[in-house]
Amino acid sequence: MSAGATETQVGVKLVSHFATVEQQKRAAVLGMWAWLLTELLLFAGLFLTALILRLLHPEAIQEAARHLKFWIGAVNTVVLIGSSLTMSGAIQLSRLGWQRGMVRFMLATAALGTLFLVLKGYEYYADYHEHMMPFLSDRPYELKDSPPSRLFVNLYYVATSLHGLHLLTGITILLVMTWQASRPGFLSQHQNRIEIFGLYWHFIDLIWILAFPTLYVLNR
Amino acid sequence: MTSGTITDGPALRDPHTPDSRLGHGADYLHAEHTLRSWFFTTDHKRIALLYLASITAFFVIGAVTAGLVRLALVVPDGQVFTNDTYNKLFTIHGVVMVWFFLIPSIPATFGNFLIPLMIGARDLAFPKLNLASWYVFMTGALFTLASVVLGGVDTGWTFYTPLSTAFSNTWVVPALIGVTIVGFSSILTGLNFVVTIHTMRAPGMTWFRLPIFVWTHYATSLIFLLATPVITVALILLIAERAFHIGVFDPAYGGDPVLFQHLFWFYSHPAVYIMVLPGMGVISEIVPAFAQKKLFGYKFVAYAAIGLASVTFFVWGHHMFVNGQSDFASVAFSVLSFAVAVPSAVKVYNWTATIHKGSLKLDTPMLYAMGYIGLFVLGGLTGLYLATLAINQHVHATYFVVAHFHYIMVGGTVLAFLGGLHFWWPKITGRMYNEAWGRISAFLIFIGFNVTFFPQFILGYLGMPRRYHVYPPEFQFLNILSSAGSTILAVGYIFPMVYLVYSIWFGKRAPANPWDARGLEWTVASPPPAHNFLTEPQAPKIPYDYPIQARETGRQHS
Repeated sequence: MSAGATETQVGVKLVSHFATVEQQKRAAVLGMWAWLLTELLLFAGLFLTALILRLLHPEAIQEAARHLKFWIGAVNTVVLIGSSLTMSGAIQLSRLGWQRGMVRFMLATAALGTLFLVLKGYEYYADYHEHMMPFLSDRPYELKDSPPSRLFVNLYYVATSLHGLHLLTGITILLVMTWQASRPGFLSQHQNRIEIFGLYWHFIDLIWILAFPTLYVLNR
Repeated sequence: MTSGTITDGPALRDPHTPDSRLGHGADYLHAEHTLRSWFFTTDHKRIALLYLASITAFFVIGAVTAGLVRLALVVPDGQVFTNDTYNKLFTIHGVVMVWFFLIPSIPATFGNFLIPLMIGARDLAFPKLNLASWYVFMTGALFTLASVVLGGVDTGWTFYTPLSTAFSNTWVVPALIGVTIVGFSSILTGLNFVVTIHTMRAPGMTWFRLPIFVWTHYATSLIFLLATPVITVALILLIAERAFHIGVFDPAYGGDPVLFQHLFWFYSHPAVYIMVLPGMGVISEIVPAFAQKKLFGYKFVAYAAIGLASVTFFVWGHHMFVNGQSDFASVAFSVLSFAVAVPSAVKVYNWTATIHKGSLKLDTPMLYAMGYIGLFVLGGLTGLYLATLAINQHVHATYFVVAHFHYIMVGGTVLAFLGGLHFWWPKITGRMYNEAWGRISAFLIFIGFNVTFFPQFILGYLGMPRRYHVYPPEFQFLNILSSAGSTILAVGYIFPMVYLVYSIWFGKRAPANPWDARGLEWTVASPPPAHNFLTEPQAPKIPYDYPIQARETGRQHS
C-alpha cells in the first residue's frame, strides 16, 4: 500500500441542478439501488423457474445438475467473492485518496472478473464435448428422453450467459473507469463514481452467489 | 434537502405576467433555437416535448390500423383483407398502441414535464439518463417499425407461445427486440422519477404536500421498476427460443408454454396500472381545479395509488382462468382481482365527492375528466364481471374483453391524456387554444368512444370471439355500429391535432395560471423559464388549497 501513499484530495463536484453535494450523492446511490432492484428481478424469474422445476422433477433435474461442472462453479464463486474484496479495497482507498493503490485494486478486480469469464468459457467448452447443449441440433442432447432436464439446462445457459453478459459489461466499465481514475484530479471530483460502481460489482457477485446453489448445488 | 441557491434572477417577479422573458434568462422554448439544442437537450421540459412528438406519431399509426381493423369488420365474410393482412393489422395496432403509446404516454410527456415543476426541483435527478431513455425508446420503436416494413407480425400484441416461437412465419424477432428495448426506456424513466421524488423535493415539500399527480407517478414508477424486468426476461427467452432454439416455452424442447403466460402477465397486468395510474393523477389535478374545491380525501387518494400498484402484482392469474391452472389458483386470483376494485372505487368516489357542490367550470379539461370518470366506471364494473370465474368462462377471449380493456386503457388513458394536454397546454406552449373547438372535441370523443365500444360488450356477450374477422351475419349490425362510432372517434382525435397546433402560432398568450389552479407549476411563467424557478419555490402548507380568491390570482374574469 505504500506505493499508493500519495494522498490526493477527495470529493464530489456539484452538478448544477442539485442544491448540495449531499443531495447529489444521495440521488446517485438511490439510483443505483433502484437499478439493482430491477436487475435482481430480471434474474428472479429464471431462478424461480429453476427452483420450481427442481421441486416438480427432482430426479430429472438432479441428473442434469450432475453434469454441471461443480468444481468450476465453486472456484468461480471464490474468484468472484475475491473480486468483491478487491473492489471493496479500491473503494476504501478512494475514500482515503490513495489513488495509485486504488487503481491497482481496480485492475485486480478486472483481472479476477476476466478469470471468471475464462473459467466459464472452459466450462461451456466441456459442456459442448459432453453433448450438454440441447439447442445444438447437430450434437444430440445427452439426456434426450428427459424434457424437464432439457428445460433446466436451457435455463442454466440463459441465466449464466445473462450473468456473463453483466460481468462483461462490468469489466468494460471498470477498465474505462480505471483509465479515467488514473488521471490526476479524478478523486477530487468524482469519488462517488467508484462507490456507485462498487455497488454494481458487488451485485454481480451476489447474483452468482444466488445462481450457484440454485443451479449447481441443490439436490446434489 | 436544502435546495435552491439560484438567486441571480430578479428577486421577486409577478408570476402572472405573461412575458417570461423579463429579467434573467428566456423561457425553455426560446432559450436556444438550434436542432442540436433539442436533440441533445437535458432539460426535462424539452425531453417531454420530444416524447410528445414521437408518441403522437405512434398514436397516429395505431389509430390508422385500428380504423382499418374496423373497416374489415364491416362485412361478415372477411372479404376486405386476407386473413394474413387482418392478423398483421390488429397486431400492429395492439403492439404500437400498448407498447409505444399507452405505456409511455402520460409518464414520459407530462411526468417528465411536470414532476420537477410540481416538487420545486430544477430538473430530474439524472437529466442525461432522461435524454438517453428517449433515445432508447426511439431505438426500440424503430426496431419494431422495421418489422412492420419488412412484412409485419401476426402474433397479437401478447406474443403468446407457441404461435410466436414455433408457428408464425413473420418478423417476430425484430418486433420483440423493439419491445424489449423500449422496456429499458421505461425502467430508466421510472428510476429517474423515483430518485427525483425522493431526493429533489423543495424545502417544505413533504410527502403529504405532494400533488396526487406526483403520487400516482411514484406508484407507476415502482411498477416500472418491479415489473418491467420480468417482461424483459420473458421476451429475451422468447427471442432465444425463436432465434437459437433454446427451448424454454416449447414442449418439444422440454419447455412449458404456460410459463410464458405467467411471466408475461406478471408484467402485463401491472402494466394496466402503468397506463391507468398516471391518468388518475391527471384527473386528480383537473377535478379540484375546475370544481374550485379541495380534493376530497387527499390522503386516501394517495394511499389508493400505492394500493393499486401493490394489489396489481397479485392478480395476473385471472388471465389464465381457462388455460388449465388449478381451480384453487383460479379462485384465489378471482378474489384478489376483486380487490383491485377497492382502491379504484376510492378514487372515483373522491373525484365525485370533490365535484359535489363545487363551483363547476365546464371547460375542455373538465369535460375530458368527466368523460374519463364515466368510461372508467363502466370499464371497472365490467372488470368485476371478468374477475368472476363463471362469467369469465362464458366471455373469455370474446369482444366483451376487448370492450372492457378499451374502456379501461383507452377510455382511461387517452381521455386523461387529452384532458391533461388541454389542461397543461397553456403551461407547455404559453398559448391558449380555442375553447369552443376544445369542447366539441371532448364531446365527439366521448360519443364516438361509446358508440364504438359499447356494442362490443353485446357482441362479446353474444359470443363473437376476439381477433376473428369472419363472423356470423347476425353480428353485422353491431359491428357496423361499432365501425361507425370509430369514425366519429377519428374525427374527435383529428380536431385537437388541428386546433392545438394552430394555437402554437395564433393562440392568445397564456397567463401563468389560466385556470386558477393550485400547484407549484402554476407559479412560474407560461412557458416556464429554462431552469424552472427564478426564485426559490415555496411549498404550499396544504395541497389543493382551493378555492382561490379572484383577487389573489389577479386574473381578469370576463
